[in-house]
Amino acid sequence: MAVRVNPDFYRKLKKFGGQSATQCFHCGNCTVVCPLSTEEYQFPRRFMRYVQLGMEEKIKHSVEPWLCYYCGDCQRLCPRQANPGEVMMALRRYLTTTYDWTGLGRLLYTSNFWKLFFVGLLFFVTLWVVYTFHGPVVTEHVELETFAPAHIVHPVGYIFGTLLAVLLLSNVYRMYKFILGPEKISLPASVYLEELKTLLLHFFTQLRLRMCTDKSRWIKHWLLMSGYFIAFMLVNIDMVTRWSLTNEPPAWWHPAKLLWTYATFAMLYATTEAIIGRLRKKEPIHQFSHSTDWMFLLLLWPTIFTGLLVRIFMEADLALPTYYAFAFHLAFTVPLLGLEVPFAKWSHLAYRPFALYFIRLRERARAMQQPQMATEAEAQSA
Amino acid sequence: MAKKIAVYLCSGCGLGEGLNLEALAKVATKEYKIELVKTHPALCSAEGRQLIQEDIEKEGVDGVVIAGCSPRVNTEVFDFGPNIIVERVNLREQGIWCHPPGDEDTQMLAEDQLRMGIVKAKDAQVPEPYKVEEISKTILVIGGGLAGITAALEAAKANYPVVLVEKNEELGGWAARLYKQVTLKPPYNQLEEPDIKDRIKALQEKPNVKIYTSAKVEKISGAPGLFDATISTKNGTVTERVGAIILATGAVPYDASKLEHLGFGRFPNVITTDMLEEMARQGKFVRPSDGKEAKNVAFILCAGSRDPEHLPYCSASCCVDSLRQALYLKEKDPDTAVYIFYRDLRAPGQHEYLYKRVQEEGVIFFRSDNTQIEEGSNNRLVIRAKDVLVNEEVIVEDLDLVVLATGMVPTTALGEMIVVGAEEEEEKGKKEEGPLVRPDVYFRCDLLNLEYRQGPELPTLKYGFPDSHFICFPYETRRTGIYAAGTVRAPMDMRTTIVDATGAALKAIQCLELTAQGMAVHPRSLDTSYPEFNLTQCTQCKRCTVECPFGALNEDEKANPLPNPTRCRRCATCMGACPQRAISFKNYNVNMIGNMVKAIEVPEEDEEKPRIVVFACENDAYPALDMAGMKRLQLSPWIRVIPLRCLGSMNLIWIADALAKGIDGVLLLGCKHGEDYQCHFVKGSELCNYRLSKIKETLDRLALESDRVRMVQVEIMDWHKLPEIIEDFAKRLEEVGPNPYKGF
Repeated sequence: MAVRVNPDFYRKLKKFGGQSATQCFHCGNCTVVCPLSTEEYQFPRRFMRYVQLGMEEKIKHSVEPWLCYYCGDCQRLCPRQANPGEVMMALRRYLTTTYDWTGLGRLLYTSNFWKLFFVGLLFFVTLWVVYTFHGPVVTEHVELETFAPAHIVHPVGYIFGTLLAVLLLSNVYRMYKFILGPEKISLPASVYLEELKTLLLHFFTQLRLRMCTDKSRWIKHWLLMSGYFIAFMLVNIDMVTRWSLTNEPPAWWHPAKLLWTYATFAMLYATTEAIIGRLRKKEPIHQFSHSTDWMFLLLLWPTIFTGLLVRIFMEADLALPTYYAFAFHLAFTVPLLGLEVPFAKWSHLAYRPFALYFIRLRERARAMQQPQMATEAEAQSA
Repeated sequence: MAKKIAVYLCSGCGLGEGLNLEALAKVATKEYKIELVKTHPALCSAEGRQLIQEDIEKEGVDGVVIAGCSPRVNTEVFDFGPNIIVERVNLREQGIWCHPPGDEDTQMLAEDQLRMGIVKAKDAQVPEPYKVEEISKTILVIGGGLAGITAALEAAKANYPVVLVEKNEELGGWAARLYKQVTLKPPYNQLEEPDIKDRIKALQEKPNVKIYTSAKVEKISGAPGLFDATISTKNGTVTERVGAIILATGAVPYDASKLEHLGFGRFPNVITTDMLEEMARQGKFVRPSDGKEAKNVAFILCAGSRDPEHLPYCSASCCVDSLRQALYLKEKDPDTAVYIFYRDLRAPGQHEYLYKRVQEEGVIFFRSDNTQIEEGSNNRLVIRAKDVLVNEEVIVEDLDLVVLATGMVPTTALGEMIVVGAEEEEEKGKKEEGPLVRPDVYFRCDLLNLEYRQGPELPTLKYGFPDSHFICFPYETRRTGIYAAGTVRAPMDMRTTIVDATGAALKAIQCLELTAQGMAVHPRSLDTSYPEFNLTQCTQCKRCTVECPFGALNEDEKANPLPNPTRCRRCATCMGACPQRAISFKNYNVNMIGNMVKAIEVPEEDEEKPRIVVFACENDAYPALDMAGMKRLQLSPWIRVIPLRCLGSMNLIWIADALAKGIDGVLLLGCKHGEDYQCHFVKGSELCNYRLSKIKETLDRLALESDRVRMVQVEIMDWHKLPEIIEDFAKRLEEVGPNPYKGF
């Protein structure tokens, strides 16, 4: 099928970063040095060409952008300074908005006005809600649950979380349609379930990031991810364990509190490091910061920090500061989760493992179509 | 002729152990009655040199035969001034290094080589340089474009008077028609005002520079140092006496009307590079169909270039020109979509920075084959091409303009084509089997109008560019003292043109200075010998005037050769051509080489020691033999090597001499000839080959097999093939059997 060259795509992609794609003269060094590029899933060089020619459909149906973890080796070795890693990053941003059916992602990525508008809206609405609906303010000593009644906060939180999960999963479904839809694969439900192990493995470990040359990034990223996941779980079980949103907090050695301490400092380290990195621009991954990269960090860091303040003030039994810190903690958390998870950068927590999941499904489908090849593959893996 | 010859044998570098030097000394003393024969452990040392120097001063020695290393090494050590004949006998590289030391056959080889060296020294005379009174040191530059102006400016800067002839009213040529040029300094990727105006101004300010515009060279007669150029100018005809000439007449774009397959002439919005340049100068890029602004523009490179139907060669600059023009469009409006369809993008030298910049500006490149163009609605153009990177057909639509980057045709290729067959002239109407000599081709391009026997313009190569030895001496044309520079010489971009023109100016200066001293120019620079014609022997056969690769010889009405020694390159092709042996050099002539051949001792048939004379071209074959020695390759012991200035100087009489003497075979090692020749004298080895086609009669007369003579083409890098080449020939001779003339 002939390719109709579309110069508009390149212009469009500029808004997502990756304006250097036209500098590529296709020597292929990037693909050669990439430790993640494989025979079947070759990148980044191929994608540089897709961008140059504006092959939007091809890109939309590609899984490769999610296989790149942006170690920057390609960027360091590019003789043309075409920044292939950044172009792959731009494609992930573009794909994120393409998967999102609401159109909100597009606004966040391409317009600073709407970015500020939505962040501000959720921030101030949250503050307003806390201001309007908070419980009695006890100032003698900290009574956080009195200030923010758990029976209200938790259900609202669950509703909010469920909404986000539905939005994100609906986008994942669209991603599935784009990537595997054209192949019209038919697999028994059991395969979908079996391969969930791939999904979970990569969700929890980000093992592919370890294949990059620089292993330290995997550690930093895993600190952030594990910290976030633990904090997320602790908040979710708080209704049962009552370690946080309570008038009678347990002792410091309470397991939840110990875990929470790990989570806070792990995340604080990773995000601070990322902010400093992006300011110093030494590593390829930090050289080009899109406005949404800053939006993510500037929501995440204060979220963690205000969370830490809540704990400190609680331990110090400072009532008013605790309530203020809690209010701001919520004010940062709501736009962070509400915008980043389904529509923006944080959505990659789902897209990356799902990409690998889809590839496994594709492999399984192919193996079923060609049983003799499957036997060979099994013989090989054995 | 040397009056007193002394022989010096070097025993260093293993020669003393590998050879019986006493027996060698006896050859000199007994056979050639040479009194002064000395052996020294290192002749190249200060002490060794002193030994020779003293003999020259005290004993009156004027011919020095040094038996030791190759003449290609220690050349300056053994230079005893212009009045002393030095002959080097190569016993090291071509002796003990490629033959087993201590062997009887090696000793015989060394003795024969020494005999030949002594004979050669005996027959040699000290050449007297051919000096011309009142030589002109003015340089004539034809063409006032970038190349001509640069060459003129460089020559003027070196204080040589310059006469510049430009056919147009204004100077500047192609460069003056540019909208912008690419910066010639770092960062090499910016557009700037063309600096040709500054160059013109600088030239005009130079004293001693005469510029004729709206002028044309009507006629050039004479020779280097003595050219008389008749120039028609606005104010009548003038004659200038000049010493050297630089041809810088440039190139013209290929005729786009032949590119109908790319839409030119069929679709109004298909234009050429030159037309876009004109638009850029007008400040508007518009569609010729309706005058509306062009927002989508594509370039098709190699339009009519590298195409067997059109120009088969690469024009070297249309990539760069298109990159520059793409930048015009992007600088005017960054939103203009610009596409470049190329086959191989060539951004030589610093132009890589330009290429990169153009990519940064967002121009999209397609490496594509089979680029097709068609017209859509509203005169918008559509290009279809196979993109090799995605391996699919790509379609670019809605193009307002398509620019064809046309190639360049040298001005020497314009006009009627004239083919001069060296062979045909000799044998009109007679068909002869055997290898032909590549005919000379020139075009009646009305640029030089030389009054030369061999035609008025420069002989050209395949595509109409002036013939030159493009690897070793690109500026040297086939007419001594005339140097081609810029796009007339080869397709090139601005930066290369500037370098090229500077180089040509330097070559012209070299020519003037060497001519003034009676010396040859490249490749036999500094040679003071020149051919002398014994016209009493001449039969007016015209071989010399036809075969001279450099048109050095004119003819009088009776077809006698009229030598122009300052045009001569001293290759001695004329000497090889002359059946009457009427042409000779003081230190290189037919008798001398014949005597060398005769000096070889030929053993009786029953000794089973065949002899092979190897005539080796000095330029490639002889050094290749040296290299074989340096690499310690073993060569057949039967060979006796005689270096020749060029195989073109090979006179058939030598082969007759050799075979009559009982030598079993003659091997000629010369440069590659034909279209991609490597011969330093362009046609020498080819002419030798042609002469060999005639040897059959001679051999038949002697009742000998023609297999006894073989010519092989060797390049310098073929040194490793030499053992096999020689062995193969020796084997063939073995099959043929010994020369029946042995012992006569």
